[in-house]
Amino acid sequence: MTDDGLDPLIHVPTRLKIVATLAALPEGDVLSFTRLQDMIGLTPGNLIIHLRKLEEADYISSEKTRNGTVSITTVALTGHGRTALDTYTRALRDLLGGL
Amino acid sequence: MSTTPGASSAENGGSFDPRQAAALLDQTTQQARRRLAPSPPWVLATRAVMVLAALGAIWVSVRGQHPYRGPTAADIPVLIAFIVINFALTVTVRQRAMAGVRGRSRFNSVEITILVLAWVAAAVLMAALSAAGVRYGWYPTTVLIIPGLAWAGITAARADWRGCAVGVTVAVIGVAGLFAGPAGSWAVAGVGLCALMLAEAAATARQQRA
Repeated sequence: MTDDGLDPLIHVPTRLKIVATLAALPEGDVLSFTRLQDMIGLTPGNLIIHLRKLEEADYISSEKTRNGTVSITTVALTGHGRTALDTYTRALRDLLGGL
Repeated sequence: MSTTPGASSAENGGSFDPRQAAALLDQTTQQARRRLAPSPPWVLATRAVMVLAALGAIWVSVRGQHPYRGPTAADIPVLIAFIVINFALTVTVRQRAMAGVRGRSRFNSVEITILVLAWVAAAVLMAALSAAGVRYGWYPTTVLIIPGLAWAGITAARADWRGCAVGVTVAVIGVAGLFAGPAGSWAVAGVGLCALMLAEAAATARQQRA
């Protein structure tokens, strides 16, 4: 946890944008890497670095499928990731309420 | 690429002001909901205005007919234009929103088939009723009943209760039109569908801001 009690994995601007964007997807849906990159506005390499960190913590899941000759990577927030974002959001509200 | 001031230092291990974090979280959440919405409020509102204008224009055209003969030759292009533009707008916006999205939000082939067959069944039923001399076959709202129920059934199976309510409402509009006479049913369809889409637009806008 950060000094403020916030999840340090989420409390980074880029990763916060990633989890908040994926949280907007209905449960049961996944988003392609390309679409996520377009929505977040990151380079592919930068996005992969952050996605790996989130996946290592089981906040997101990723899957690579083949559509003919094209390989498509999709990502989604896991249940653990949604819970972590909810916890982070509550902690943020509590912190700002106290400021 | 973040536009939040101080974000670059936060990306590099520096502190990330919680107030900036809260602003970024709200902004990102609202933007994502808007960009991923298959039926944004502005589309629903536009469709509401179009359906009221098109079906209202036909009602104005037919309301003085005694006996009722149905839409005139001048009304048909209005109806066709409405159907084409409504379909094109809906499909284009939905495709853009759903680009890169896979999963439960997308209709599967069975659900699409059911929806198509529902419209076909409605058209066949109307033609059969008309041929048999049953006056309800001429009412434009009759065509809404079977597709409305099909939509309600599909969305109920997905536990999408808001979608189910929309389908039931469409079917109810279809039934309500049966009591308004053949000319009046155009007005019932126009006003009913317009009100439904405006309510959906308001509910969607509220959900996006939550």
